[in-house]
Amino acid sequence: MVFLYELVWRFLHALLYLQRALLSWFRVHVWRLKQSAVGLILPLAIGFHNRRKPGPTGKRSSRRVRWGADGRTPEKLPVHVGLLVTEEEIHYTEIASLVVWCMAVGISYVSVYDNQGVFKRNNSRLMEEIHKQQQELAGTDSSKYSVECSKNGTDKQDHQVFSCEPVVKVLSPDDGRHSIVRAAQQLCRAIELKEKTVKDINISLLDSLLRESKNIPDPDLVLKFGTVQSTLGFLPWHIRLTEIISMPSHRDVSYEDLLGALQRYAACEQRLGK
Amino acid sequence: MPKHVAFIMDGNRRYAQKTHKVRQEGHTQGFEKLAETLRWCLNLGIHEVTVYAFSIENFKRSKEEVDGLMELARQKFSRLLTEQCFLNVCFAYTSRHEIANAVKEMAWGVEQGLINPSDVSEALLSECLYSSSSPDPDLLIRTSGEVRLSDFLLWQTSYSCLVFQSVLWPEYSFWNLCEAVLQYQLSHRSLQKARELHQEEQKLQQLESDSTCLSEILQRGGNGKPMEAQSRQNALLHYTSSREQRVQRFLNALQHKRDSFFDRLSSQTNDGEKAAKGKEEPTRRSARLSAKAAKGKKASNPAENGDAKADQAQKVDAAADSK
Repeated sequence: MVFLYELVWRFLHALLYLQRALLSWFRVHVWRLKQSAVGLILPLAIGFHNRRKPGPTGKRSSRRVRWGADGRTPEKLPVHVGLLVTEEEIHYTEIASLVVWCMAVGISYVSVYDNQGVFKRNNSRLMEEIHKQQQELAGTDSSKYSVECSKNGTDKQDHQVFSCEPVVKVLSPDDGRHSIVRAAQQLCRAIELKEKTVKDINISLLDSLLRESKNIPDPDLVLKFGTVQSTLGFLPWHIRLTEIISMPSHRDVSYEDLLGALQRYAACEQRLGK
Repeated sequence: MPKHVAFIMDGNRRYAQKTHKVRQEGHTQGFEKLAETLRWCLNLGIHEVTVYAFSIENFKRSKEEVDGLMELARQKFSRLLTEQCFLNVCFAYTSRHEIANAVKEMAWGVEQGLINPSDVSEALLSECLYSSSSPDPDLLIRTSGEVRLSDFLLWQTSYSCLVFQSVLWPEYSFWNLCEAVLQYQLSHRSLQKARELHQEEQKLQQLESDSTCLSEILQRGGNGKPMEAQSRQNALLHYTSSREQRVQRFLNALQHKRDSFFDRLSSQTNDGEKAAKGKEEPTRRSARLSAKAAKGKKASNPAENGDAKADQAQKVDAAADSK
């Protein structure tokens, strides 16, 4: 009986493996076709320029970024997106593309993470790749164009538009649990020196310490690449309300894929307990 | 097979809307589904389940709904105590509160002179969480299609398999559970690898920390002469051992503090019930919080926290003799 039970599980496993393999082959081949089409449409003139004073609502003097096809711009954009790579082999070009696309779309903060700290150790290589991609997309005259980031959660008709410099952060497990431990040690030292009491310790104090070290807002969205279904230690404190969207792989990922994920994010409804 | 599964039982209200019933009916169905799911877990060999029954954020809901949920909990959870598994119910809970509370406990330990700030580590923080007597969940399942953790077990699920299913909780089926378990099994090896890597890093960090502390001690009390390698090694072992003893004393004191809390709570709410049921004096509600599975002990009714104090997160274990 036990033998039969095990056989059933193994059979189901085999089916699932087959399904995954087929799906991933299908995805790669269909998306490759789409990518070549989108590549022609994607606005090449996407650039970044320095901070300027917030302009008035309504007319703006500089040219706005347009998407490839009308009506595909997500209405609700995440302010901070985490790119969580669970795959062993990392392709810097592809990750750099994702980062640059996110920034182009108007996302203010992009975090890149893997649980082995590979990105952190190769930080400069990633940054180089990102700059290269930025140059490619911006073309020769980047000052003509600007990226506008709208303030999170504001009304469509009445929003103020700020121009901001997107921020890229490279994270590892050290920024997760261990960072909470460091904050706890700091608080305990303050207790020892009688600078604080136990009663002073609460969520907001701990939160401010955790924010102080990295100064990034909580991720609204995490795009998880790879088949491992886990956050693998990514910023546990900060992801309490983060939407986690899985994508099969960061290899051969397309701008379409990113847009699809952002549209899915825009459709999420957060009730916040109510 | 996962040994510990956590559930975010989401979708009761949407189910009620879909089937044109009142909200309370959706929640009632949800509780029934929980009882059913517990039995399925047992059949599959999953002996520990943690559920997110009520978040601190849920107090924002209407008084009517909150009272309804509290009443439902009061009625239904006592029934679940007859099942032969560990059921952890997170009630008036958020993970951030739990983590902040764990930090507070360690701070209390420092204040009492039981531990040093340098003794604070990931392992110690884990021991100070409400879930300290449970292993981290292997698998976390969230129903209703939402793909977020909503402040549930953020620390404990860092290396758990997360499965998001679109089915509404009251419609959850045995096959949905099997599907989730299958996904866990497929991710198992990678997760195991990631967990082991993390544990290795922790060990290294602890060693480094002990070494740094030792250096500081030697500097303060030393005569300036550098130590021999062997002597230093011995000194390090000695320091590590004394740290571990310190930490154990602190954890015992913490356990005692918690036991007293639950004993007080027991005696406050159980006086009437004790008389009515005629049983022997109920031992602590949180039988699980003390040493592992005390055989032969039956937990009494779960502690009800009608008090909406934000920092009262209740974790109640129902342990029954599995033999």
